[in-house]
Amino acid sequence: MAAPSLPAWLALQTRARTLRAFSAAVSPVTGAQRLSPPTTERTSKHERAPRRKALPPRTEKMSVDQDWPSVYPVAAPFKPSAVPLPVRMGYPVKRGVPMAKEGNLELLKIPNFLHLTPVAIKKHCEALKDFCTEWPAALDSDEKCEKHFPIEIDTADYISSGPSIRNPKARVVTLRVKLSSLNLDDHAKKKLIKLVGDRYCKSTDVLTIKTDRCPLKRQNYDYAMYLLTVLYHESWKTEEWEKKKTEADMEEYVWKDSASEKNILETLFQIKAAEKNTELSKEELLSTKEVEDYKNSVVSLKNEGDNENTISQYKESVKRLLHLM
Amino acid sequence: IMLKGMTRLVSRVHKAKHGEQHVGQHYNISIQELKTVFPHGLPPRFVMQVKTFNEACLMVRKPALELLHYLKNTNFAHPAVRYVLYGEKGTGKTLSLCHIIHFCAKQDWLILHIPDAHLWVKNCRDLLQSTYNKQRFDQPLEASIWLKNFKTANERFLSQIKVQDKYVWNKRESTEKGSPLAEVVEQGIMRVRNATDAVGIVLKELKRQSSLGVFRLLVAVDGVNALWGRTTLKREDKSPITPEELALIYNLRKMVKNDWQGGAIVLTVSQTGSLFKPRKAYLPQELLGKEGFDTLDPFIPILVSNYNPKEFEGCIQYYLENNWLQHEKAHTEEGKKELLFLSNRNPGLLERLCAYL
Repeated sequence: MAAPSLPAWLALQTRARTLRAFSAAVSPVTGAQRLSPPTTERTSKHERAPRRKALPPRTEKMSVDQDWPSVYPVAAPFKPSAVPLPVRMGYPVKRGVPMAKEGNLELLKIPNFLHLTPVAIKKHCEALKDFCTEWPAALDSDEKCEKHFPIEIDTADYISSGPSIRNPKARVVTLRVKLSSLNLDDHAKKKLIKLVGDRYCKSTDVLTIKTDRCPLKRQNYDYAMYLLTVLYHESWKTEEWEKKKTEADMEEYVWKDSASEKNILETLFQIKAAEKNTELSKEELLSTKEVEDYKNSVVSLKNEGDNENTISQYKESVKRLLHLM
Repeated sequence: IMLKGMTRLVSRVHKAKHGEQHVGQHYNISIQELKTVFPHGLPPRFVMQVKTFNEACLMVRKPALELLHYLKNTNFAHPAVRYVLYGEKGTGKTLSLCHIIHFCAKQDWLILHIPDAHLWVKNCRDLLQSTYNKQRFDQPLEASIWLKNFKTANERFLSQIKVQDKYVWNKRESTEKGSPLAEVVEQGIMRVRNATDAVGIVLKELKRQSSLGVFRLLVAVDGVNALWGRTTLKREDKSPITPEELALIYNLRKMVKNDWQGGAIVLTVSQTGSLFKPRKAYLPQELLGKEGFDTLDPFIPILVSNYNPKEFEGCIQYYLENNWLQHEKAHTEEGKKELLFLSNRNPGLLERLCAYL
């Protein structure tokens, strides 16, 4: 079997030769190996294709008005030879500058959005327009949108290439609604805010309900709507035990029946007694202008906290009350 | 004593004549008066300054003048008005309080001065269960120290005021009705165990009798926010004590209520020395808390702020005249500008900075 074995031996020889040449080039480990490479090296150098010189980076061939989305059509790692920007990143050594972009690991680590330039996004939008319907012409301002559609639902869909198209993150549903668009009176609003707790943002007046306890998005949406309905109806009801609300439960300061009212009445009574004034009725005292001013200043002081304005207002009203000018 | 420099106003006799035009100028208090009027209560750095310069000079400033104006126009038939001095750290609240106290002492008021209420809610070594009320705690050390100082400050009144109840201290000792208050104070100083109760009695009697118009009472408390805060004191079983369980604090709280006539109540709220309050807090509501505010309401809040330019100049002149600033650039314009920038015209900071020059 010389014929088939010969090419096989030749193939083995060449394979061994390339293997040995490769190993010689990469890591001359033992003496034996070093001895054999000289003979094979000389032969493989001639036979091997000469090593190419490094070409200039692609950036030098890029024109200023090129089509960038074709350079980075998808999310790709940062290629220093393909991005024509002289970017530097890294902590500089003493009296040095940040490292250049060639071979810079920091630039590779961070996420880059080179595939999402405004031009690229415009192109995406143009492509997607064919699948969209028209925006209704009547809803041309934010207030109209809010008036007709007060509830906003946020859902997210996830696409990825893999064995399954399901993504557990897709079942999250966020419901946002402004309380000013719900029909709530004073007591109902306070009760609702107490019931939802952290989910209400005072500065933007937005109630956010985020549900993900059901396995399907549709079920979560139904649950969120159910929660909103239940909250609305419950806050309108008044329970028996709500009558026991104490001062510590109050959200804001209420002047009536407060310690401040008692103090001021006592003080005024004593002043009147000292001056032998007999118009001592509580309602009359409460209705005088000075007491009104004082009440407003105390309420603002307690609700807004201390600042120059409230304190000076309070001071003036107390001075007037106690006739200290 | 000759007038030192143009910026000084030596007026030991008529403190009552301080007016708007005197803002920024210093006035002198003699050392003997210092011992009687202020046995306690001056800030420690000021005491050091007095010792160094061999004289005590307080600057006349707007908040104090405002308060003096109110005090001069008080109607002693009306319930006592409460004034609260508040301000950032180092702006001069305690010294303004001392100015007021000195004025009232000159006008022959009875001064009830608690130098620092914070000292009564922290670091007390021996707490005894109160003999008067089992729920409360006594602080014999603090009470006896305060009684000694109170006696020095108000010697002449103690023999004039007579107690109106009989007080039984223990099986052998008791104070009869009609005996002078000095006896109660003596009893408190002698028998340290009864010191807290003695303080309570003194406060009660003074409150009752000032309404009768026998004398005028000035209640001055520094750091009044300690009365409604938290304490660092614990019982034997390590459970914390609230302020109202301390007999001293309980009686003092009764004192700062405005249900008596014939005097005035001047208070300061300060963060220095306070417990569990952030360093930047200086506004009255922050430091007093809800309970404190409700008890003190209605009160007149008076802001004590940093020096205005005139006062700043006056202070620098005072230091220069006493040869306190030894640096050669201290009296130049640039030196003053530097000091202004570094201290932001804050009196406390300025004093500390000048100590290095």
